[in-house]
Amino acid sequence: MCFSLHCSHHHPVACIVPPYMLRVMALRGDPRTAEMARALLKQTEKLRDERAELNRGGLPPAHPISGAFATAAVSPAEGLCCPDRRIHDGQHKAALPGKLIRSEGDGPTGIPDADTAYDAAGQVFSLFAKEYGRNSLDGEGMPLVATVHHRRDYNNAFWNGTQMAYGTGDGKVFRTFLELSVIGHEMAHGVIQHSGGLIYENQSGALNESIADVFGSLALQRALGQEVHQADWLVGRGILGPGINGAALRSMKAPGTAYSDDLLGQDPQPWHMDHFVATSDDNGGVHINSGIPNHAFYLFCAYLGGRAWELPGRIWYRALQTLNNPMASFSDWADQTMDAAIELAGRGSIETVMLRRAWKLVGIAI
Amino acid sequence: MIIEIAAQGGFGGIAAANLHKTIDVQDQPEQMRQDLCEAFEPDQLARLARQPCGDCADRLTYRITVTDDRRTRSFTLREAQIPPDMLDLIDQM
Repeated sequence: MCFSLHCSHHHPVACIVPPYMLRVMALRGDPRTAEMARALLKQTEKLRDERAELNRGGLPPAHPISGAFATAAVSPAEGLCCPDRRIHDGQHKAALPGKLIRSEGDGPTGIPDADTAYDAAGQVFSLFAKEYGRNSLDGEGMPLVATVHHRRDYNNAFWNGTQMAYGTGDGKVFRTFLELSVIGHEMAHGVIQHSGGLIYENQSGALNESIADVFGSLALQRALGQEVHQADWLVGRGILGPGINGAALRSMKAPGTAYSDDLLGQDPQPWHMDHFVATSDDNGGVHINSGIPNHAFYLFCAYLGGRAWELPGRIWYRALQTLNNPMASFSDWADQTMDAAIELAGRGSIETVMLRRAWKLVGIAI
Repeated sequence: MIIEIAAQGGFGGIAAANLHKTIDVQDQPEQMRQDLCEAFEPDQLARLARQPCGDCADRLTYRITVTDDRRTRSFTLREAQIPPDMLDLIDQM
């Protein structure tokens, strides 16, 4: 096999590691391995342009492999206690993390964005710790580092692999990103990364986005003590600008209805596979097609009633820990949630019947 | 030299929220002109485009087009590939 770092010095054709495996290694490997994999991928891409027959390197394994992520991450962490939050002020610059302004245990700073980031990070930590037995984003107690006031008039929030960053918005399209479902969404990207990862394009990328939305929404519902039918199932409620005709960025209950505005157009999210959007923009529509698995999760919760972060959340969390397929399709993910539901609720249980019904209603048969 | 910058992607995935700027470097103050010429020199952009890009969840993608007297060159850069100083420069433009 071509897993050694020496591989990067070989002619790419001599390296038998297929591109899909390189992409997993780039995602999961230690820094040296990831760098090697990325270098090889670059070479492969160049060759692909030159030689059309190298377009596809092969298929992913037919059956998930029991790997380190699956075995380690489904076991509740030991010594699970408290978050280690570190909130920084980016001072409207791009350099991260910026100036440390609030550490764990410190009192409020009086800076609204910083205090919201601190409080919300605690809520999200609590969701994963108390409900799913996970110690921070990596399962090993990593510090929760966040930067507020990132860049100037920045219309975005993101997870960069080691920390969260939040812009202020330009005041026109977005007024803020400091809202619990958004913060939970970004932190969930960290959980996904440390759970084996999902490659950030096409269906696996849309799953990455959907799972982040699910746990962002669950963090908010849990913090508010809302049962399924009391929640609004909106992601990013109130973050759009004051002149925008819209309630939120996305709706899990009714994808495609979060906003309808002269400037923004219509919310493009589909709720059914019949309306799946094929596009090369947005990494293959990761923020668009996430509406489909989002809606399946909502339907499943609505069928069951009660608290969505309990059994439904546990099923989604367990499925994430056992997936071990960074290129998973929607169908792969649906199958994985069914496996998790059988483990947690029993084969033939009403919960598994409802889960199958939810996926069927969005056009995915399991 | 004319620099055109168009961004897409991000947490919202909303096209209207994306940055789109065009700037004629010759119209800028001296210091800005110098900073822009250094940061957006095509060979420098090509080098950045070859840098590895790590986790890109919710990050932006920039399409940068530089036109000078001789030709037009375009580069696609992930936000994570662009140095912070250059991002600050983009925000100032």
